[in-house]
Amino acid sequence: MTTPLLETRGVWQRFGGLIANSDVSISVGAGEIVGLIGPNGAGKSTLFNLIAGVLPPTQGSIWFNGEDVTRMPAAERCQRGIARTFQVVKSFETMTVIDNVIVGALVRTTVMRDARRKAQEVLEFCGLGARANVLASQLIPSEKRRLEVARALATEPKLLLLDECLTGLTPLEAQSGVALVRKVRETGVTVLMVEHVMEIVMPLVDRAIVLNLGKVLVEGKPTDVVRHPEVISAYLGDRHAISA
Amino acid sequence: MDTTFAQSRRRDLILAIFLAALAAVVPFFVKDVNIQNIMVLTLMWAALSQSWNILSGYCGQISLGHALYFGLGAYTTTLLFTKFGVLPWFGMVAGGTISALIALGLGYPTFRLRGHYFVIATIVIAEIGLLLFHNWDYAGAALGIDVPVRGDSWAKFQFTRSKLPYYYFALVFCCVAWLVTWKLENSKWGFWWRAVKDNPDAAESLGVVVFNSKMGAAAISAFMTAIGGAFYAQYVSYIDPDSVMTFQFSLLMALPAVLGGIGTLWGPVLGAVILIPLTELTRNYLGGSGRGVDLILYGAVIVLISLARPEGLIGLFSRKPASKGVPQ
Repeated sequence: MTTPLLETRGVWQRFGGLIANSDVSISVGAGEIVGLIGPNGAGKSTLFNLIAGVLPPTQGSIWFNGEDVTRMPAAERCQRGIARTFQVVKSFETMTVIDNVIVGALVRTTVMRDARRKAQEVLEFCGLGARANVLASQLIPSEKRRLEVARALATEPKLLLLDECLTGLTPLEAQSGVALVRKVRETGVTVLMVEHVMEIVMPLVDRAIVLNLGKVLVEGKPTDVVRHPEVISAYLGDRHAISA
Repeated sequence: MDTTFAQSRRRDLILAIFLAALAAVVPFFVKDVNIQNIMVLTLMWAALSQSWNILSGYCGQISLGHALYFGLGAYTTTLLFTKFGVLPWFGMVAGGTISALIALGLGYPTFRLRGHYFVIATIVIAEIGLLLFHNWDYAGAALGIDVPVRGDSWAKFQFTRSKLPYYYFALVFCCVAWLVTWKLENSKWGFWWRAVKDNPDAAESLGVVVFNSKMGAAAISAFMTAIGGAFYAQYVSYIDPDSVMTFQFSLLMALPAVLGGIGTLWGPVLGAVILIPLTELTRNYLGGSGRGVDLILYGAVIVLISLARPEGLIGLFSRKPASKGVPQ
């Protein structure tokens, strides 16, 4: 097997007495769309933040593209090719949509004209081309989610981390979101997405990793994972697991 | 799209050149020394506020301690001139450099603070500076230093007979401060700063090294502020801690930008053009016996503007999309 693009090795994260991640080892291969799922409080967001570099893990290591990035700050990881979106959108509200994206593009170039062109391209790609000169604060929620993705894509990532970017959208918006994620992958970007709405993610991902109580519960093809008794029990309780 | 953006940048530049040319000919028609004095101060405060705006407006790190850098610029130039005979031009650069280095040194611990805590730290540090200079005998302590008069010359940057040379220096200073901002606004730094101001976490995730961008903003801002301090020392020919380093100076740097439009290219100039003549004129006519009346009026104007135009007066002229209203 070739070395995976992203790998966590025995990652632990403790917050005081709370163990958010215990001995989590996952890997994501280049070109995959991987879903990180699990019920509330499973440790998805913590693991996500560890990979994005918000904080270093208590124990264990994180490898990206063959390099140990465990203690690398978020900004530097972005330069290496890890980009992320935020579950609660964090647009630069006083800046226009295109200016938001230019910030991302400036990781790869310092020539303003190139950054602006790149930003416009990415906006078109994400279906926000017509909104380029609007203030980010004026966007509707689904557009803000797209802006998060656009900004991240402008950094030309190898790995895109999506944090519940489809949650809370209308079914129609979620559908076009799914289409966008597929389009992103077609450009050769690997995607790791955290979601807890199973029916949206399952048809989209190549592989699903289920976390529960901070541990990896099951991992595999989405169709296998949804039928797995332990997954059903984690999501719905033991009674349903037996009847399934 | 690209072209409208370039056009708007060019329009800004043309407007600036036009205004600078206008300002350059005004003294030929205005001979009143009092008015000339107000014009010098207006330009100086516009430039200082422009400098403050880089750190506090664009990068969002509100400093109410810029009097420290102003004072450092004034003291460095004056001390170098009186003790070592170093020409003020070199003193100016030395003062700017010292201020920038001190800003970096202070930024190291204080940029870990966020929001109000950062503001409080800047106030406290400037007060410490004030106290140190109050008690530093070599620098004249509370008595201050007289800049010895050595005859009018550009080399020594001293002019006793006319205010015009000071006026033109202040004009150039103001233009340079504006140009620096104009240039930075459309640069990697400018974008990084605005991103840091709006959301440091998101900025960090997009490859912005938040700490470094704050440090860069602080150094540039402090350097330019110190130039203003050095100029002021030459202009008034006498400095003591209370006349260059008190909290009031920090406020005076912030107010034009806040009034005109914080974090905007034209805000500081617009604010200074309204605020400084207002302060000086009210002080001339209402100051003295009725002490404080000028400040009451001053406060009232600020309250009125912040009620009517919270985003600053620049909102009246805004070409960019307003925060509310119909998207383009």
